[in-house]
Amino acid sequence: MGGADGLSRREFTTVGLGLGLAALVGCSGEGSAGGGDEDELVIGASLPLTGQFSQPGQEAGRGYRIWREMVNADGGILGRKVQLKITDDASSQDTVVSDYTRLITQDRVDFLLGTFSSLLNYPASAVAERQGMVFVEPAGGAENIFTRGFDHLFFAQPALSADQANTFVDWVKSLPAAERPTSAAYTTQDDPFTRPVIERLQGLLEDLGIRTVYTSVYPAETTNMQPIAAAIAGKKPELLAQGAVFQDGVGLVRALKQQDFSPKAFFQMSAPSNAGQYSKGVGTANTEGVFYSVSWHESAPTPLNKEFVTAYAKEYDNAVPAEDAADAFAAAQVLRAGIEGAKGTDQDKVAEWLHANEVETILGPLKWDKRGAPLGSFLLAQWQGGKVQIVSPEDAATTKTVIYPKPGWS
Amino acid sequence: MAQFVQTLALGLLIGGVYALMASGLTLIFGVMRVINVAQGAFLVLSAFVTWWVWRATGIDPIALAALTTPLMFGLGWAFYRLVGARLRSAPPSMSVLLMFGVALLIEGLLNVTAGNRFRSATPGYFDESYTLGPISLPKAPLYGFLAALAVLAVFYAVLDHTWTGRAIRAWAQNPSGAALVGVSAVPTATLAFALGTASAGMGGSVLSVLVPFFPASHYEWIARILGIIVLGGLGSLPGALTGALILGLAESLTSVYVSPQWSILVFYGVIMAVLIVRPQGLFGTRVREDVAA
Repeated sequence: MGGADGLSRREFTTVGLGLGLAALVGCSGEGSAGGGDEDELVIGASLPLTGQFSQPGQEAGRGYRIWREMVNADGGILGRKVQLKITDDASSQDTVVSDYTRLITQDRVDFLLGTFSSLLNYPASAVAERQGMVFVEPAGGAENIFTRGFDHLFFAQPALSADQANTFVDWVKSLPAAERPTSAAYTTQDDPFTRPVIERLQGLLEDLGIRTVYTSVYPAETTNMQPIAAAIAGKKPELLAQGAVFQDGVGLVRALKQQDFSPKAFFQMSAPSNAGQYSKGVGTANTEGVFYSVSWHESAPTPLNKEFVTAYAKEYDNAVPAEDAADAFAAAQVLRAGIEGAKGTDQDKVAEWLHANEVETILGPLKWDKRGAPLGSFLLAQWQGGKVQIVSPEDAATTKTVIYPKPGWS
Repeated sequence: MAQFVQTLALGLLIGGVYALMASGLTLIFGVMRVINVAQGAFLVLSAFVTWWVWRATGIDPIALAALTTPLMFGLGWAFYRLVGARLRSAPPSMSVLLMFGVALLIEGLLNVTAGNRFRSATPGYFDESYTLGPISLPKAPLYGFLAALAVLAVFYAVLDHTWTGRAIRAWAQNPSGAALVGVSAVPTATLAFALGTASAGMGGSVLSVLVPFFPASHYEWIARILGIIVLGGLGSLPGALTGALILGLAESLTSVYVSPQWSILVFYGVIMAVLIVRPQGLFGTRVREDVAA
């Protein structure tokens, strides 16, 4: 999601810190050295362990490794232990292409797993497709990845990036007609990640008959959200959606409160998912009822999720897994299901099976259209009582309560 | 109509806050003859100090300006005395490089000590406002606006009505001429530089309540206040105030009546238009290069 498709400037500056560590990780080698065991199933991946995407890249590496430990403890895949071969592409498109080519032609790995970010998965998936290898990617939700007619490519997240807010639309649809908001305002930062989501959301809500009363796009360097809030307050929309990154999301909440305007429903991108920083920035009481969407949640009641969170905490200093680690774990789950479903290692058969079946993952059930784009939707999260709850879909929900209409500001 | 008045009010309030941030930059320009590119970093440093003391003690962040202002004054004084003054006879580009280095140093130190996270001081009133009929005046920018007026009034009083102020102005206009009539260079310049950083102390305290900030936030602030003082005229206090109010109003009116996307473009459009007609800025004075050197 966010981390994979567009790093914020802040993330960008922090990723450098990981460099030294990443170099160590990259050198540490994977699985049994020499790979002498004929019977092992070797799975190769190239990840951005250093460079611009090192933060999500390293998290993905952790997700893959936790999966390997769990699957080997479970007896492996079709009775064969799994060995991972992970190389570092340094967040470079050129390196990722040569890495995957080498994994396929020289190392002759049995299967591949995807890398991180749309930027790297775009060329990497082309290498795999050319060689007839199944390519399950944990990130890379840009639309243009799926318009090339590939049939060995699968995206292991619930939906493409631009469809992030569809889960919110579904929730609006689920309301009785009389309770639905009748008017809506949309404002978004001028950002390649947020803007398509908000524009698509607007189209879908207009199709439901919700009148658009305000739209605006503001530049990334906007710090003063007061005029936008004043303009929105003047239109009194019942629903407000913001394509926020972080600071602008906090700024709009504050400014709306200062204008004493609170919509019935409020959806923000990204900002509310930065748990502590968001609630401190807007005041915990003001988070009440704010919606956002996310691909995974640590306490989602999906199969194996609890085991994954526990194993991760045990391995990495009691840390809570990042969404990127969970996405990687889920991608590996998809590959395993494909191999076991096809009852063999024939790439075409695995791809066929995945196109025809639904797979249970820690993100929830995943299935794909013929392009390999997922047919599900993100989770809808809401701040309730100072905590984040998943409110939809039902099988992943952590609570049955949905706060609507949103209470006025504290 | 109510919306128009509301927009004007918001524009003036934020413009006042921008004036507070920009006043020190223009004062320091008078002394160093270069843009102090570290002024944004001084603001963010003061914001971090404010946030830290506020979190530890609960003292009101804007009231903490009473602490950060003298603190930044002392820092500016010591810095100019020990480092800045040594570059008085060096080419101006050296001073720019030095201040850029200072900005990076402050950013790096804040990164290491405070962490690369957004911070924000949130006293009880941070998201509240006063209501005047249909108009709401957000409290934090309002207090910032009042603080700006106070600082500008003090600057004005000092510069126009005290001998020290006259010495600073004389030195800014013509250092050798000032020296001839007995203004000693280094103490005067040090004082002006310290007054400039002191205003960043107060500006930072206000900033900590207004918007979330992190160590690299200083880039966006230096860009904004630089635009303001170029518009108003480098080195001119009334110019900084006018430029800031124009930016505040342009931002608000364009956001509400045209589109937020145009607000920054409109401001820089105004700067370009003004510079074509008055290259010295609104309140700037043309300097005779032969005597000013």
